[in-house]
Amino acid sequence: PGPDEDEQKEVFEFEFSDRPLLPCYNIQVSLSQGPRNWLLLSDVLKRIKMSARAFRATFTHIEVATIAEAEFYKQASLSQLFSCPEELEGFMPDSKELLDLVEISSELVALLGSSLECVDDCWDPLAKARS
Amino acid sequence: FDYSKAHFYRYDEQVSLCLERQSSSYPAKDKNKVTLQQKFVRCSVRAEVRHLRKVLCRRLNVEKHQVQMLLNNESLPDHMTMKRLWLSHWFGKAQPLVLHYSIKDRRTR
Repeated sequence: PGPDEDEQKEVFEFEFSDRPLLPCYNIQVSLSQGPRNWLLLSDVLKRIKMSARAFRATFTHIEVATIAEAEFYKQASLSQLFSCPEELEGFMPDSKELLDLVEISSELVALLGSSLECVDDCWDPLAKARS
Repeated sequence: FDYSKAHFYRYDEQVSLCLERQSSSYPAKDKNKVTLQQKFVRCSVRAEVRHLRKVLCRRLNVEKHQVQMLLNNESLPDHMTMKRLWLSHWFGKAQPLVLHYSIKDRRTR
């Protein structure tokens, strides 16, 4: 068996892309886990030119989480990184509609055409990121 | 709730950056060699300038003393975090935070 994830040294991950990165939201979608980093599924589908149905059928192992738009807006708007009003203007603060989210992972990063690199406090960058 | 992993950098808020090479740096004939092809970068708000420099060195195949990170033509200290950079220089602006990097000639120390 490989090393347990808990025993791995913590590293900084850097995602590189030749296209502007999709907006990323640090959101807590359930009480059983803390905040995670999510992309809107609709943004991902637009970027990779795929339908929601095809995405769910092809990537059955990628969890799609849902959250009420109002709750999403409430959490996202607390971020100091979203201090520019235009960035959240497409969302409805009182909407009960559900938004689909996908968590950032190395697989999703690769799917979007980005590459991932890790560094710790040593000078030499580590080998590629987690699987 | 698994508190043992909650501190991981990967769960931090992520900041979106655009890394532009300072046009005046490095000899003109070698510019393509030291220009980042994937200039849009995302990382933890806890990452520091020195971590960014490390990654840049790796990507551009240059030595650490050759790379300098800049914002508004001012050199950035190695231990400044992305969050602090954002709050002090970019608060209220849209993502990504635009940083510049300069590459000195390999012989220059």
